[in-house]
Amino acid sequence: MTTSETKRNHIESLLRACRLVSRINKNRPDCKKSELMYYQMLDKYFNNVQRAKQENGFLAAHTIFFPVEILYAMGITPLHNEVTTWTTALLLGNQAEFLTAGAEAGMAPEICSPHRGLAGGFYRQMLPRADVILWTNLICDNSAKAGEYLMELNRCPGFFLDHPFGDTQEEQAYMVEELKDMISFLEKHSGRKMNWDKLAQSVAEMDKQIKLHAEICQLRKAIPSPFPTRRFLEFLTVDYMFAGQPEATEYLVTLRDELAEMVQQKKGAVYPERFRLMTLFVPPIYLIAFLENLFQEYGAVSATEPLFTYWKYSPLDPSKPLESVVKKSYLIPESRTMYGPLGESTLQDIRDCARDYRVDGCIYYAFMGCRHTCATVKMFKDTLNEIDIPVLTLDCDLVDPTINSQSEVRDKMEQFFELLEDR
Amino acid sequence: MKEIPDKNLTGLSALDYFREINRTFPKTRAIQEHKAAGKKVFGWLCTYVPEEVILAAGILPVRITGYTQETELEDGNAYLYINNCSFSRSCLQMGLRKEYDFLDGVVGGSTCDGARRLFDVWRFYLNPEFFHVLTVPRKFHERAHELYYHQVEGFKKHLEEYTGKAITDESLLKSIEVMNQQRKLLKELYELRKLDEPLITGAETMEVLNGTFRMHKEECNSYLAELINELRKKNQGHKARARIMLIGSVLNNPEFLKGIEDLDTIIVTDELCTSTRYWSEPVVLEGAKNPLEAISRRYLNNFPCARMFPSNERFDRIIQLAREARADGIISETIRYCVPYAHDIPLLSERLKHEDIPLLTLDVEYGTSGSGQIRTRVQAFIEMVEARKK
Amino acid sequence: MKAVGLDVGSLNVKAVILDGSSAVSFAMLTVSEGAEPSARAALDEAIISSKLNGDELYIVATGVGGKAISFSQQQKAITTCLARGVHYLFPAARMVVDVGAETTTVLKINDRGRVTDWAGQDKCAAGTGMFLQAMAKIMQVSLKDMAEYSLRAKNRADITGTCAVFAESEVISHIHRVPPTPKEEIIAGIHASMVSRIMGLLKRLGIEKEVAVVGGVALDGGFIHVLEEELGFKVLVPENPQMVAALGAAILAKENLEKGVR
Repeated sequence: MTTSETKRNHIESLLRACRLVSRINKNRPDCKKSELMYYQMLDKYFNNVQRAKQENGFLAAHTIFFPVEILYAMGITPLHNEVTTWTTALLLGNQAEFLTAGAEAGMAPEICSPHRGLAGGFYRQMLPRADVILWTNLICDNSAKAGEYLMELNRCPGFFLDHPFGDTQEEQAYMVEELKDMISFLEKHSGRKMNWDKLAQSVAEMDKQIKLHAEICQLRKAIPSPFPTRRFLEFLTVDYMFAGQPEATEYLVTLRDELAEMVQQKKGAVYPERFRLMTLFVPPIYLIAFLENLFQEYGAVSATEPLFTYWKYSPLDPSKPLESVVKKSYLIPESRTMYGPLGESTLQDIRDCARDYRVDGCIYYAFMGCRHTCATVKMFKDTLNEIDIPVLTLDCDLVDPTINSQSEVRDKMEQFFELLEDR
Repeated sequence: MKEIPDKNLTGLSALDYFREINRTFPKTRAIQEHKAAGKKVFGWLCTYVPEEVILAAGILPVRITGYTQETELEDGNAYLYINNCSFSRSCLQMGLRKEYDFLDGVVGGSTCDGARRLFDVWRFYLNPEFFHVLTVPRKFHERAHELYYHQVEGFKKHLEEYTGKAITDESLLKSIEVMNQQRKLLKELYELRKLDEPLITGAETMEVLNGTFRMHKEECNSYLAELINELRKKNQGHKARARIMLIGSVLNNPEFLKGIEDLDTIIVTDELCTSTRYWSEPVVLEGAKNPLEAISRRYLNNFPCARMFPSNERFDRIIQLAREARADGIISETIRYCVPYAHDIPLLSERLKHEDIPLLTLDVEYGTSGSGQIRTRVQAFIEMVEARKK
Repeated sequence: MKAVGLDVGSLNVKAVILDGSSAVSFAMLTVSEGAEPSARAALDEAIISSKLNGDELYIVATGVGGKAISFSQQQKAITTCLARGVHYLFPAARMVVDVGAETTTVLKINDRGRVTDWAGQDKCAAGTGMFLQAMAKIMQVSLKDMAEYSLRAKNRADITGTCAVFAESEVISHIHRVPPTPKEEIIAGIHASMVSRIMGLLKRLGIEKEVAVVGGVALDGGFIHVLEEELGFKVLVPENPQMVAALGAAILAKENLEKGVR
C-alpha cells in the first residue's frame, strides 16, 4: 500500500493498531483476560466494517445510543460515531486531521468534536462510505442534527429516530412506532429482513447484560476499588459496540468474575489506595494513559461514574422486543440521568454513589463541546458540596488536545489531591 | 388611545406605544395590572408553547427573553456554564437577578439543549410556583401530532389543577380567536414590508414584536390595527439599495436590525423565532376533533425551528419567504453555541447557492447590536448584492 | 529549626521566616537570573533581616517556580498556602481572591484554613496584574496613580470586551474619542472590567463573607473600591498582600515541624 492509500484507509489503520495492542497485551503478565477480550472485540468490530465493504455487506453509520441490536438482528454492520473517533484518539492520535477536515466541511468549532470528526472523516473519504446514516436525538442536539449532512457526504439515505424527551406510556409507544418505521425503511434499503427471533434473543441477552452491569456496580463498591480508571471507557464502549450480542455478555461475565476475585482477595486497582474519586462525565480520551499514570502515582482511582456506569436493573421482556428496546434506551445510565427534565432522581443517584462508593472527591470533566453536561456543573457541584464532597471542574475537550495541556491537567489534579489530603 | 410622552415620536403613535411598553421591560404595565388584579402571569419560552391554553386559564402569557444588549453574564456563566448559548445565559441571569420574580410560573418546550438546561437550572434555583415542560417531537407526521396532542392535554390538566378551574372549549375558542387575530394582523404588517417601498423597517417591526410578547392580546391587537392604518396612510415608503432577509437564532434586539438598515438597506422580512416563526400559522378549527387538537396541530406544524426534522421543511419555507419578499440576499446570524442552527448552515448554504440567493453567515452573541466587525462584513455583502442587481 | 515559606512567582520571589507563630521577617525580590538563584537571594535577605543566623531551616516552597527549588523540604500548591496564610491573618475569611501578575485565582476556605473549592483563570490575561500594567502603560499613568484616578471618577467608562485584547482596543478608542473620555472614567472602567472577571469566578463558587483580597493588585485602592461596590460589602486586605502565600507556606512548614516531619 502506498502512503496515501494507507492514510486513506482509516479502518485499516485502526485494525492494525488494535492488533498491535493485542500483541503487547498478550505479552503482559498482568494483563487481564477481559482486557484481551476487549481488544479482540475492537478487532472484530472494525473487521466487520472492513468486510461489509469488501463483501457486499450493508454499512450503517450511526450516532451514540442508537439501538444497535436492531442492526445486528438484520445482518447490518454498524459503524459507531463515538467509538470510531474515540478509538482514533486513543490508538492513533491523529484525530486532529479529522477535526481539521470537519472544519473544512463547514462544521462550526462549537459543534461537539466527535461529530465534527466524523463529518470530517466522511468529507475527506478517510472512512468507508456508509450505505445508510442512522441517528437519534438521544442524547443531545448534536446527535439530533448530525444525520442530514452525513447523508449528503455519503450520498446515501438516512433515518432519524425521534426519541421523546420523557418516558410516559405515550412517549414509549411513539418510539415503538418509530422503530417499526425504521425497520421498514432498513428492510427496503438494505434488502435484508428483520429476524425477529434474533432480536428477541438480543433482548434476552441485554437483560443478562444489564444484570451483569448491576453486579459489576456492586463489586466496585469494595475498598480497595478493583476496577482501574483507564478501563472505564472500554467497559462503556462494549455496550456501544455489541449491545445484545453474545460478545458483550462474554466480556461482562469475564470482567465480573475477575472483579469478584479481586474483591475476595482484597486487591485494588491501585496500591496504596489513597483517593477514591467520583468521575462526572468522561475524561479526555487522549489523556487516558496520562491520567492512569498520574492516578497510580497518587494512589487515586475512579470508584464510580454515576452518569455512565451506574446501571439499575429492570427486566426486559424478549416476547415484546420493540418495547424492550425502547425500555432499554431509558435504562442506559446517561439516558436515565441526563436526558429528560433533570429530576431529583439524578441528584439522588449522585448522592447515593458518593455515599455507597465512599468517595473522597469528584472530578467533573467539563467538555467544552457538550452543552447539556456542562450546564449541570453548578447543580451537581452544589449537591455534592452539600454532603461535603469537593469537586474539581476541568475544562477540556473529549478528543481535541489543544484545549488544555498535560502539565495544566497535572497541576490542577495535584492541587486537588492536595486539597483532599489537607482536609 | 392612551397619552404618550413627546420624546421619541416617530409620527406613528401606535409604534410609539409599543416602544413605551418595551421601555419598561421586563415588568411592563400589562403585567403590573394583571398582578394587581390578583391574576397570574406565566413566562414561556420557545414557539412550541401553546399560548392559547395559558390564556384560556385566565393567565397572562409573557415571553421570556434576555437583556437587549450584549452584556457580562457572570451569573449566567456561573450557573449555566460558558458553553451554553448566550441567550439561555442571558435569560437565566435576569431570572437569578430577580428581574423575573413577578412570574408565577414558567412553561417551556423540550426544544433544544440550551432551552432544556435553562429550564432545569431555573427550576432548581428559582423554584417557580408552577413549572411545566412539554415534550415536543421533532417530526411532523401524524403520530407526532398525536403525541404532541397528549402533551398539550397534559399541560391543560396541570393548569386546571393549578387554577382549580376547568379550561372549557369555550375559553379555548376565545383565546384561539384573539391569537389568530394577532397572527392575522402581524401577517398584514409583514405584507407592508414586502412592497417595493416598504412602509415599515425591520428594526421598527422588531420593536412591535417585542411589545406583543409583553401585552394583553386584545390591547396588542387594537394597536397593531392602528399601526397598520397609520402606515397605510403614509405616502412614502423606505427606499434602499438592497432588500435583505434576516434569518437564524433567536434575536430580538432592534438595534441589530437597525445597524444593518443604517447601511442603506431594508430588511424586508425575517425568519426568527421572535418574528415569523412566532406568528406564521393560524389555528385552523376545521377538521380538528376539538379546539385543543386544533391548537396542538397548529403549533407542531408551525414554521419550524432548526431542531425539527427534516431540515428541508425550514429551508423550503425560507426560500419561499425570500421569493415572496423579493429579497436580494439573506443574512444568517447564529449565536455562538447554538447547535441546531449551526448544523443547518452547511446544508442551507448549498440550497441557497442552488437557488442563486446570496447568503452571508455571521457569528453573534445574543443581544448584540452588531460590532464594527459585523458591520464591515455586512457592508461588503451588501455591496456585492447591489452589484449583482445591476 | 525555623519554618520558612518561599513563594516563587513568575515576577517576584517572596520569603517569610516564622519564629514561633509570628512572622519574624520577610523579603521580596524580583526574579532575575532564574528561580533558584533568586529564591536563594530572597531567602538570604530574609535571614539577614531576621537576625536568626545559624538556625536550621525547614522550607516549604510554592508558586509557579516552587517545584524548581532544589533546597526546599516540601513543595505545596499555591492554593493550600494561600488558604493557610489568609486564615492566619483573617480567621473570619471564607473566600480569597488572589490577583497576581499572570493569574487570578479565587478560593473558598473553611474555618480551619482548608481549601474546599477554587476557580482560576489561567488562559486569559483579563483581570490580572499584567492586564492592569498594560493598561497603565497605555494610559501613561503609574500603577500607583491608577488608584487615585479611579477613586476620583464620577462615572465609569463601559469596557465590555471579554478579551484582554479587545478591552485594550476599547481603552484606546476611549482615549482618542472626540471629546476624549475623562482619564478617571477610563481607569475606573478598567477596574470595573477586571472586577467583572473576578465576580464571575466568585459566583461560580458561591459568594460567602468574609472575602480577603491578596496579591499585587490588592494594593490598588481603586480596584478594591470597585470590587467592594460590586460585592456590596467591604473586603479584607492584608498589609502585605503579596506575602500571603509565602506566609501560608511558612505556616505549613511550621505544621510539619510540629508533627515531627523532617
